[in-house]
Amino acid sequence: MPTILITGANRGIGLESARQFAADGWRVLACCRNPDAASELASLSGVTVHALDVTDIASVDRLAQQIADPIDVLLNNAGQSPRPSLEFGSMDYDGWADLFAVNTLAPFKMIEAFHDHLRRSERRVVANVSSLMGSIADTSNGVVPYRTTKAALNMVTKALSGNLAGDKIIVFSIHPGWVRTDMGGPRATVSPQDSAAGIKEVIEGANADASGQFFNWTGETLPW
Amino acid sequence: MTTMLITGANRGLGLDFVRRLAPEGWQVHACCRNPSKAADLRAMAVEYDVTLHALDVTDFDQIDALKKALGNTPIDVLFNNAGIMETAQRTLSLDHTNQMFETLDEDEWMAVMRVNTMAPMRMCEAFVDNVAASNRKQMLMMSSIVGSIGSNATSRWYHYGTSKTALNMVMRSLAADLRDRGITVMSLHPGWTQTDMGGPEAALTIDQSVGGMVEVVKKLTPADSGRFIAWNGEDVAW
Repeated sequence: MPTILITGANRGIGLESARQFAADGWRVLACCRNPDAASELASLSGVTVHALDVTDIASVDRLAQQIADPIDVLLNNAGQSPRPSLEFGSMDYDGWADLFAVNTLAPFKMIEAFHDHLRRSERRVVANVSSLMGSIADTSNGVVPYRTTKAALNMVTKALSGNLAGDKIIVFSIHPGWVRTDMGGPRATVSPQDSAAGIKEVIEGANADASGQFFNWTGETLPW
Repeated sequence: MTTMLITGANRGLGLDFVRRLAPEGWQVHACCRNPSKAADLRAMAVEYDVTLHALDVTDFDQIDALKKALGNTPIDVLFNNAGIMETAQRTLSLDHTNQMFETLDEDEWMAVMRVNTMAPMRMCEAFVDNVAASNRKQMLMMSSIVGSIGSNATSRWYHYGTSKTALNMVMRSLAADLRDRGITVMSLHPGWTQTDMGGPEAALTIDQSVGGMVEVVKKLTPADSGRFIAWNGEDVAW
């Protein structure tokens, strides 16, 4: 029975991923900032809920020490959405730094903290939830800070794929689609169910060739 | 007359840009943290139209003060050249291995992001009207192939590399945002160069690197906006 650790598991794509992996017999370690407010998550069978603020390094290290078993898949899903105060001409730089902390530094820190758990597992997969908005090749206007945090996350993915190849750890970025979540809004084109199912399929099919890639939730690769 | 505002102009690549362009008649606003120590720049200011400005690019009050001092002066080329591999505190370690996996230093990483990624954005915000009022209308970013996702299979420099990846994204976004104002925004890769950052073992002399980049910059047209170009004129992968 493989184990997956999911960050930001209390809602949206994280919650739906927890549901689908658990339903498929996986052991799910579901992390969120406030487990007391995550009743839906706690009600899922096969899911254990853990308190985790991914930007709090002590919190990450503490969780890594608490969990002894190997972790087959780390799904770095927690992320912060674009904010209206972050546009050219009126940029909030501390807000931008906060975005970097959540979207770029935290996934890196999670991989560091759970490196040994991954190395001891069968599958050894890290999936970083990125965004097509982080594709430098695909860039259009607006939402600059959010884009930079996801582009930087993709750099982390690519470089770690090489640095962790010796441990046979597979690291990739994945674009979840434009999903009807709190972040994506009601007009988004993809349901959380479909997105999570697509991400799950990519995770389960990941081999050494997948490492260092940027995937769409439907499985094809996306440009940097 | 062509006017350039350049950050980090006191040494290395920035200094050589001033050294080449000031004698050609360019008016240069040369920024560095400590003009009183910038002997080479001060010598050039005696002979050419070079004005020194004290500017720590992470100090936004200083950026605002510089904007106030320059007023509506048209700026043909806003050159975000200032950048760091690591903070002064880390430089004391005399190696860059502290940017490897399993050594995340959150404060250090963010400090590098603030200089290499956020400060260029702040400069572009502050001087966008000056650039729009000029003839050339160019914003240049000193990036690096270390930030090229496609060119790197591993990294020893996560802080620096991600900061340059993010800078390239800033560049691409601004190229799209400012196209309507006729502004050309692009990133440069200087090559591995014998500067304080590159070290003495580097492949290129400063003369080769900047010589190449000056040619690239002089040939830029609005069609080049959004490109990431190396010192030798070749495009660099994202």
